[in-house]
Amino acid sequence: MLKTNKMMKLIFLPILLFFLLFLIVPLLYMFWQSFKIGNVLTFQNYIDALSNIELREAFINSFKVSFVASVVTTILAFLLAYAVHFTTIHRHTKKLVQVGITLPMLLPTITYGFVLIYTFGNQGILTKLIGQPLFTIYGYNGLVIGYVLYTLPVAFILMQNSMQYIDKRFLLVSMLMRDHSLRRFYHTVFRPMLGTIGGAFILTFILSFTDFGIPASVGGNYRVIATELYQAMLGSIVHFERGAVISVFMLVPAILGVVMLTILERFNFQYKQVGQSELVKHRLRDVLFTVYSIVCVAVVLFVFSTMFIVPFTKGYPYDLSFTLEHVQNVLAEKDLTKVYINSLIVAVLTAVLGVVITFMSALLNARTPLKGKKSLDVASMITNTVPGMVLGLSYLFFFNGTSLKGTFFIIIACNIVHFFTTPYLMAKNSLQKMDPTWEVTAELLRDSWLKTIVRIILPNIRATIYQMFSYYFLNAMVTVSGVIFLVSTKTMLVSTRIKELQHFAKYTDIFVLSIFILCTNLIVKLGCDYITTHKEKVEEISK
Amino acid sequence: MKKSTGMMLGTVSAAAIVLAACGGAEANSEEQIIIYSNADDEAIEVMESTLDDKGYKGKYLIQSFGTSELGGKMMAEGTDIEADVVTMASYFIESAQTTKSMFVDISSDLKPLDGGVTYALPILGNVGSIFINTEVLQQKGLPVPQTIKDLTDPAYKDLVSFPNIMDSSTGWLLVQAIIKDYGEQEGQKVLADLISNAGPHIESSGSGPIKKVKTGEVAAGFGLRIQAIDAKNEGLPIDYIDPTEGNFTLTESVAVVDKEGDEALAKEIAKVIATEARGGLLEQYPVALYEGEQVKDEHVPAYLKKWDSTLTVDLLEKHQAFFKEAQR
Repeated sequence: MLKTNKMMKLIFLPILLFFLLFLIVPLLYMFWQSFKIGNVLTFQNYIDALSNIELREAFINSFKVSFVASVVTTILAFLLAYAVHFTTIHRHTKKLVQVGITLPMLLPTITYGFVLIYTFGNQGILTKLIGQPLFTIYGYNGLVIGYVLYTLPVAFILMQNSMQYIDKRFLLVSMLMRDHSLRRFYHTVFRPMLGTIGGAFILTFILSFTDFGIPASVGGNYRVIATELYQAMLGSIVHFERGAVISVFMLVPAILGVVMLTILERFNFQYKQVGQSELVKHRLRDVLFTVYSIVCVAVVLFVFSTMFIVPFTKGYPYDLSFTLEHVQNVLAEKDLTKVYINSLIVAVLTAVLGVVITFMSALLNARTPLKGKKSLDVASMITNTVPGMVLGLSYLFFFNGTSLKGTFFIIIACNIVHFFTTPYLMAKNSLQKMDPTWEVTAELLRDSWLKTIVRIILPNIRATIYQMFSYYFLNAMVTVSGVIFLVSTKTMLVSTRIKELQHFAKYTDIFVLSIFILCTNLIVKLGCDYITTHKEKVEEISK
Repeated sequence: MKKSTGMMLGTVSAAAIVLAACGGAEANSEEQIIIYSNADDEAIEVMESTLDDKGYKGKYLIQSFGTSELGGKMMAEGTDIEADVVTMASYFIESAQTTKSMFVDISSDLKPLDGGVTYALPILGNVGSIFINTEVLQQKGLPVPQTIKDLTDPAYKDLVSFPNIMDSSTGWLLVQAIIKDYGEQEGQKVLADLISNAGPHIESSGSGPIKKVKTGEVAAGFGLRIQAIDAKNEGLPIDYIDPTEGNFTLTESVAVVDKEGDEALAKEIAKVIATEARGGLLEQYPVALYEGEQVKDEHVPAYLKKWDSTLTVDLLEKHQAFFKEAQR
């Protein structure tokens, strides 16, 4: 049995301190602020907030629009994942779905809104094609479409991942038993997927509920809670206490979500061994799913195509001739390179430090007998629950007046904490899958624990490390809600710059910057994917 | 153990380097003056080119904000604000000075027309007007509006855009004109109709409406008169109309934040903006602010008006309440 050694404690301590200082204390401080008026402790802030009609309306609106969006997303994502795993549509179509649907993840949500305006607005591309706007894009409609585009990739990945582990031999069994197709679908696909479906629904709901980028660009006069929070903190008349109260409200659905997920856990069951069997061909089904998949991808690509059209036309919508003038203008702006470099610094450091912290946390949790290691699981639960905006705001409260305010450091810390859960779980899962006796064997051979990690664990988890890196990098590049309260003039990021440009309605610049982010993310993602798959191939060959 | 200690030290020093790099990036730009501004990009361009011409290139950074965002920041942070120089609606600077006394004295021999204060220098005057997209107007068969009230015609449903007084000082110019001409009661109705006509096109930024009119998203808008003049000169199908309710005005000023004696460069820069950039700004915002300034005839609005009392944040809050009431 592996024993706790000094080294483990030495690593554990700073990680614990990190979470204490950058997660627990700021959140508690904000919670505390929500009960204060001046120096008096009171419930008055909550009473005020609850009796504020606009705030109530915003809360209900947020609930409504997020609910609708997550129902739509869950259904769309399920069908897409089904098409990939349970139909015999052409493998190119499958690949197209996997790539096309997830592409929007590489962009900040604030861009989504502007893209929608230029697609469905009065002068939008679709409107030009049809002759008149289909519907007004501002407010409810825009939010639903925006949220669906935003959450579809995540929901799709989740479902897809889960469907991999469904034993397809049961389909055959069910067929042999001459089950009705609905019954077969229910028992072999739907029932095993129920936990994931619920999970995807909750996740998309929380993402929509707490997103700031989409309502900031396309919200119109439809009030939602995220914009209310922004206005309370950065509006003409600042209400700190109200901001704190709204933040606490924003945690409500997330906490409910965690409760529901724990209940749903029961529905998750694992097949001991997943058998892959050929799916039976079914012409009609395949044609339908091919059409459906292509339509979905086409819609996504079509909507985002505006991003590549508008900045390259002379004066959209009047003069549609091609020009590089706008792009050159944007590139000529001296601040821009600085902002871009800021973004790169933040993304790279977030990714590097983030990987170190998440890997160490996962390692301590999964492969050591350390006392109190469960606290890391708790930290990952909390980071999963707390919306970026709330985290950013609690930092603003807590670090205001300290020298950390407005530094890169605080932005990076916010990102690392905000996006902690997924990379942590990735690392934990792969670490748990490894032979549990490696460290013990190494210890018997008198190798130090760290040596074992460097020599044995790290090489075996390399692929996952690249994935974690890419996850952190991409998210740091596109996030708005977490850092909107934290950036200063000197630490401005590309994603928050877009919010600023919105102020001047400089759509062309917004699109050019978005293309910048997209390209950077594509390079990093493809790079990481390449290294991962390349390594795997080499390993397979050498086996 | 030795090796592991070495690795530990390595990790720690790597982290230290990273942190130092962050800090270093900060320290590098330490001498730069940070200017927070609510001005529109046209005005910022003038300020930037003047500052660059006068040899301040690289010595300053301008950060744009919406009027309300910047106002909120000033009121909340006081002298803790990151900025060294602020250019902002004059009434906001005055209110911030009253409550937070956050600006230092920058009095000089400049002679502002309305007496002025010692901690701020006016830099530009905004004038509101209606503007239209002539093409869209024709397409939709709408009459050319002459007054703000004309825009409440149901024919303009979803085809009008104006800035929200909750976020933008340009929005205030509209509300001032309505209250002044129609009084509180009728004004309330006019505003309510206008709000319902604008639907989703109530903009948080003063530049929002002109952009929407330019792109043809709406047929008519209310905003800064000069933006429409510029758009028209660019050859776009845009025209400006002085509403009979009045072209109300609003000044913006520059002020230097109290940084405990470390304001020399900030003061220089603020003065350059108020003096040297003034020529360019006057062209863009044709309102005379200093003795002896001349404005081109074509730029003089037909119904130039001013609110009777001094503009203050308190008055703004009252007018915001009036707006909210109309929104119900």
